[in-house]
Amino acid sequence: MNEKKRILIVDDEPQITRVLRMSLSTRGYDVRSAADAESALETFHDWPPDLVITDLSMPGMSGIDLCRRLRDVSQIPIIVLSVKGEERTKVDALDAGADDYVTKPFGMDELLARIRATLRRAPLVRDGEAVLEEGDFRIDTESRAVSVRGKEVHLTPKEYDLLVYLLRHPGKVLTHRALLAAVWGGNYVEQTEYLRVFIGQLRKKIESDPASPRHILTEPWIGYRFDPGA
Amino acid sequence: RARPARCMISPMRAAFQKRATGYLAALLAIPAATFLLKLFRDHINSTTVALALLLVTLFIALKWGARPAVAASLLGMLCFNFFFLPPVGTFTIADPENWVALSVFLITAVTVGQLSAHARRRAEESEERRREIERLYRELQEAFERASHAEALRQSERLKSALLDAVTHDIRTPLTSIKASVTTLLDETRSDASVALDAAARREMLEIIDEETDRLNRFSESLLELARIEAGEMKLRRRWMAIDEIVLAALERAELLTRRHRVEISLAGDLPLARVDGQAIAEVVYTLVDNAAKYSPAGTRIRISAGRVDDLTIQLTVEDEGSGIPAELRERVFDKFFRAMRDSASASGMGMGLAIARGIVEAHGGRIWIEEGGRGARVALTLPLGERDEAGAEQMASSAQNDR
Repeated sequence: MNEKKRILIVDDEPQITRVLRMSLSTRGYDVRSAADAESALETFHDWPPDLVITDLSMPGMSGIDLCRRLRDVSQIPIIVLSVKGEERTKVDALDAGADDYVTKPFGMDELLARIRATLRRAPLVRDGEAVLEEGDFRIDTESRAVSVRGKEVHLTPKEYDLLVYLLRHPGKVLTHRALLAAVWGGNYVEQTEYLRVFIGQLRKKIESDPASPRHILTEPWIGYRFDPGA
Repeated sequence: RARPARCMISPMRAAFQKRATGYLAALLAIPAATFLLKLFRDHINSTTVALALLLVTLFIALKWGARPAVAASLLGMLCFNFFFLPPVGTFTIADPENWVALSVFLITAVTVGQLSAHARRRAEESEERRREIERLYRELQEAFERASHAEALRQSERLKSALLDAVTHDIRTPLTSIKASVTTLLDETRSDASVALDAAARREMLEIIDEETDRLNRFSESLLELARIEAGEMKLRRRWMAIDEIVLAALERAELLTRRHRVEISLAGDLPLARVDGQAIAEVVYTLVDNAAKYSPAGTRIRISAGRVDDLTIQLTVEDEGSGIPAELRERVFDKFFRAMRDSASASGMGMGLAIARGIVEAHGGRIWIEEGGRGARVALTLPLGERDEAGAEQMASSAQNDR
């Protein structure tokens, strides 16, 4: 934990890069920056970072394409800087592989919290593992037994699939499309209402207070985020 | 054609009524004319009578159309025969020549009647056609106006979109730097803060806030200027000024920007005074020089030249040795918020400089364009010297003298 985490910042605006570099290095991160996606990829190969923060609107290769290119070769966390109101772009970025997004203008504290959360995320649970254990949740994939805070919970097959997927991607913002595709398949990716219903059912079963969910958090117009708990 | 029945639509009814009036007129006019002519029987000969009756028929044809004219012709023939051709008082005709006269009269009367009615019909038709054409033309004009109005609306919607996009981006970007800097400094002041910025970093953050605030300010001023230009509300304060003074003032302001370039000035010796808004034109020159510096590599030459084009116009050119402007963009660079994806940082561009420059130049009655050829970009503009009245000319002469 003593080793400094490396962060690569990609943004074409020099002032923003300046501020982020200074602010983050004061916080103990090792920071480098790139002014466009191409040079970011070059830096990425020479200096593998632990986290990438990228703007979405850049000349040349877009932030979204950068996410895709990075995902081709790595699973490192990616946070995108987006502009409020660009829901479509946010969703596209998340679908392209980004883990989280921060809306400009943002406070440094907010960005730092997201960075910490994304870095702290446990490494993705491998598909082969029999037991998924994360925070308040425990799933035995062989017996399909699910327990939340020690208590056993009975889920329908689709609710089970949904929870397993959520548990496998803790802390990450998951778009409606990604969830629907993973649990129901490609033909259902437009059925956001459908998903909403299932999320509602699942919340009733696993949340201590379904009206104020702590685990399945809504990201308005984008999707959901799963917090397994302490 | 059959006679129209009683219950017909009004146009036919009107036509019928008109014809009825015509028949009536024929029935009255011919006997009346005959009577008159009879009074003068001893002083006039048959030819005169025939011609007179012909005239009446013609009149009836012109006023009431072909059919009443035919009626008039027939009636006229009968009257002519009965009252004028010997033996008078009978329908028989003694002299065979008079048969000829009578027939000729009838034929002429009918023909004249037909011809004049025909002519009248033609006149009416062409009048009708003319009215139709006018109506169609009016409709076409209206349709055209509607279409161009719709197009103008569409265009203005598009412009509004582009404007909003550009404005949003150009406002949010400095705001992002400001917010990030401010929150960093604020975090520092919190009691539980485990991190402390060193003095240099703190200073840099404050400088960033300062610079970005200026940037926002400049942007909003440019927006306002652009809006004024668009609304045609540019207020120019035109005075007789020396172009070289304006150019030098602009270059002084641009000194920092151009410190890595070689600036060459070539102003003609006989540059006359021009009636311009000095500040506005200086801003135009500043923008052009700024662009030249931004888009050409360090160490290259920026050349500003000015000279007289003719008695009424001055031309000013700013050229650089950069990569130039491609032919297809030479008009579009003057669009609001046009921003080429250039190699160097686009940050300070904001895309409004040239649009504002054009607004200013055109408000002076001049023109600004990109010249082709050469290595880099060449922006040229013309300015009319301005009206010269007696006082103006004298002022020009005296200040020219003072300058030398």
